[in-house]
Amino acid sequence: MINDMCDSACAPEGPTGMDLWQLLLTLAVAGSGSAFSGSEDSSEKPKFTKCRSPELETFSCHWTDGVRHGLKNAGSVQLFYIRRSTQEWTQEWKECPDYVSAGENSCYFNSSYTSIWIPYCIKLTSNGGTVDQKCFSVEEIVQPDPPIGLNWTLLNISLTGIHADIQVRWEPPPNADVQKGWIVLKYELQYKEVNESQWKMMDPVLSTSVPVYSLRLDKEYEVRVRSRQRNSEKYGEFSEVLYVTLPQMSPFACEEDFQFPWFLIIIFGIFGLTMILFLFIFSKQQRIKMLILPPVPVPKIKGIDPDLLKEGKLEEVNTILAIHDNYKPEFYNDDSWVEFIELDIDDLDEKTEGSDTDRLLSNDHEKSLNILGAKDDDSGRTSCYEPDILETDFNASDVCDGTSEVAQPQRLKGEVDLLCLDQKNQNNSPSTDTTPTTQQPSIILAKENKPRPLLISGTESTQQAAHTQLSNPSSLANIDFYAQVSDITPAGSVVLSPGQKNKAGISPCDMPPEVASLCQANFIMDNAYFCEADAKKCITVAPHVEAESRVEPSFNQEDIYITTESLTTTAGQSGTTERAVSSEMPVPDYTSIHIIQSPRGLVLNATALPLPDKEFLSSCGYVSTDQLNKIMP
Amino acid sequence: MDNKGWSLKAGSLLLLLLLVSDLLLCQSVASLPICPSGAVNCQVSLRDLFDRAVILSHYIHNLSSEMFNEFDKRYAQGRGFITKAINSCHTSSLSTPEDKEQAQQIHHEDLLNLILRVLRSWNDPLYHLVTEVRGMQEAPDAILSRAIEIEEQNRRLLEGMEKIVGQVHPGIRENEVYSVWSGLPSLQMADEDTRLFAFYNLLHCLRRDSHKIDNYLKLLKCRIVYDSNC
Repeated sequence: MINDMCDSACAPEGPTGMDLWQLLLTLAVAGSGSAFSGSEDSSEKPKFTKCRSPELETFSCHWTDGVRHGLKNAGSVQLFYIRRSTQEWTQEWKECPDYVSAGENSCYFNSSYTSIWIPYCIKLTSNGGTVDQKCFSVEEIVQPDPPIGLNWTLLNISLTGIHADIQVRWEPPPNADVQKGWIVLKYELQYKEVNESQWKMMDPVLSTSVPVYSLRLDKEYEVRVRSRQRNSEKYGEFSEVLYVTLPQMSPFACEEDFQFPWFLIIIFGIFGLTMILFLFIFSKQQRIKMLILPPVPVPKIKGIDPDLLKEGKLEEVNTILAIHDNYKPEFYNDDSWVEFIELDIDDLDEKTEGSDTDRLLSNDHEKSLNILGAKDDDSGRTSCYEPDILETDFNASDVCDGTSEVAQPQRLKGEVDLLCLDQKNQNNSPSTDTTPTTQQPSIILAKENKPRPLLISGTESTQQAAHTQLSNPSSLANIDFYAQVSDITPAGSVVLSPGQKNKAGISPCDMPPEVASLCQANFIMDNAYFCEADAKKCITVAPHVEAESRVEPSFNQEDIYITTESLTTTAGQSGTTERAVSSEMPVPDYTSIHIIQSPRGLVLNATALPLPDKEFLSSCGYVSTDQLNKIMP
Repeated sequence: MDNKGWSLKAGSLLLLLLLVSDLLLCQSVASLPICPSGAVNCQVSLRDLFDRAVILSHYIHNLSSEMFNEFDKRYAQGRGFITKAINSCHTSSLSTPEDKEQAQQIHHEDLLNLILRVLRSWNDPLYHLVTEVRGMQEAPDAILSRAIEIEEQNRRLLEGMEKIVGQVHPGIRENEVYSVWSGLPSLQMADEDTRLFAFYNLLHCLRRDSHKIDNYLKLLKCRIVYDSNC
């Protein structure tokens, strides 16, 4: 067979053709020869079996003799080699330098003939004819020798005494120069029980010792190791077998089996969980009770502490109720920007007296004063001045006034005696503490985004005085909340007047009480309607008051700042404010009030005219334009 | 008084002598890293440099062997490449030692220079190898990833070798000699057979050269760092 592995490359240019022809001829002859012989085996040619380098320093090649029994070739087999160095093949095929060292039918190349990383070609000739050729590089034919010096040591024995681990050690083959790193070897260990047939293989390792785990103590084992070059796949021969006889197992090892104490763990776990559960229940007693036995909801009014009812503080409850009365209590509850001011009022006796109207009316001028002269504290007075809630402002005024009173009873000192309410103030100061609007501290009224009116302490004190003065429930008159139109100006504006009830007992020392009483008496008489004369009287009495009161609702409605001017005017007219205020209680929501300089009365917008018209007509029947003109400036 | 003063002086002198002798002794210990006096960059010890270099060369050889085996399994079966693979590599012109004795006899500066030359000669082919493998039909990830890795590690090894040369043989800076690789056209041939054979050849040469460098470096390390007492 022609080994065409290096048909063009191995052989030099010249003799190639010749060699080929030679080979072909030989083949033909051999073929014919075998045909002639008939019973010959085919292909008895010598051929290479293997070429091998054990340590990357020498190599040897072996071939089969190819000789049939009984027939020996007379011609000796020869091996020729050629190697390429520096890009050129040497011209001559050289003969094998050593036929002996590697045994029969072999050729041994020692280190001087061995060049690594150089292509070699060898050919086998028999009787002058090439029978085989092979080309290779030495680093590709590395097959190391087996390791030597196997031994084992006991690592440990398992607790059960059944298994053991051992460490097997060996030495690399002596001819491999692993120390200098010329060749890198990988080892593979195999082991099996003595009576087994299958070897167990371990992964190749680079080191010269490996642990073998989990060998049974009552068995004998065999261990063997083989090696290969790092990056090739051809293993060398196996080392000698190592017999591992492990010590007998200890006698007591089998008796106690260590079982995981599941039972104990379960018991302890349940116990622990129970403890935790109990702790939890104990700590959350109340909540659990709530969950299991929810309390039956008792009737409750928002904002009112049931404790108040229990303790019998009905006054406070009343005040609370007043605050949260039908006048849109939700405003206070739902508006987030409405807070409640805390009030401390000790004595609430006086709160039980009088209706809401009284209180509101009595506090009207206070409220106006307060509006004008609210203190710059956070007691929530500003909440009184919300423009949207005119009515509730009255409620709020209770509170505000209450706070003002409560907060600053001490400030009543040194007030300007504008209202000559001093004596009354002194008298009423104790009672003022009980002004109706004071509630339990639980109620707080305040508005955050209201601009604070500018304050003057002087006026403020007077306002307080007035407030205190007027808060005397006895002086309160029962006046309805609704404003009645007392007159209509020719321009179409409506003059409001207080309701039917009189503010009896109001004692402004400067204002003409007779006028007031007159007005009030008239009012009482003419419950249904007011004629312009009456209204005029009342109106004239309180010129500035109206203006002021006019001013006041506008204050309520708009976020405006009160100047000192207006404050002083207010103060001046504070005595009349009560009536004025009462006379012109702002009509909620659907009237707009103009400020007019004339002291004649409240002027409503034309838009709101129809309603007052109707009222006016109903109350007074008929007003001539002259009357209206008289009224109006 | 006098005696005391003299004894004190003597004692201090003795102490000084001891200190100086200790310093001198310390200097003469043979296990000091080879850092020739006057070397500018002697930060990393030579041992560490060699350790790193050997690790890199070992790694590169592993990668190139795996890459070659992978390629052989995939593309070269049945094509008879083996017979033709005894072609020359472009680095064959560099006269590198051919066996252990020659490697041990050559002067280590020359050997270092040779290693540098071989490494430099592979810069270009590795770069093109990566780009061409990418362009291969169904470029196998195993081959591509290894090619990329080898290219990078080769660069790092080159840097390390230059550092080693700077320490072992400072001052002498040879011209950057290396073998030019001209196999790019065959890698880009349209004919698939030719192209695949070009790849096969290149990978074969790479495996061979990486093996060379690995062995040389290990020998050098044993020689230089451990003074042939590995």
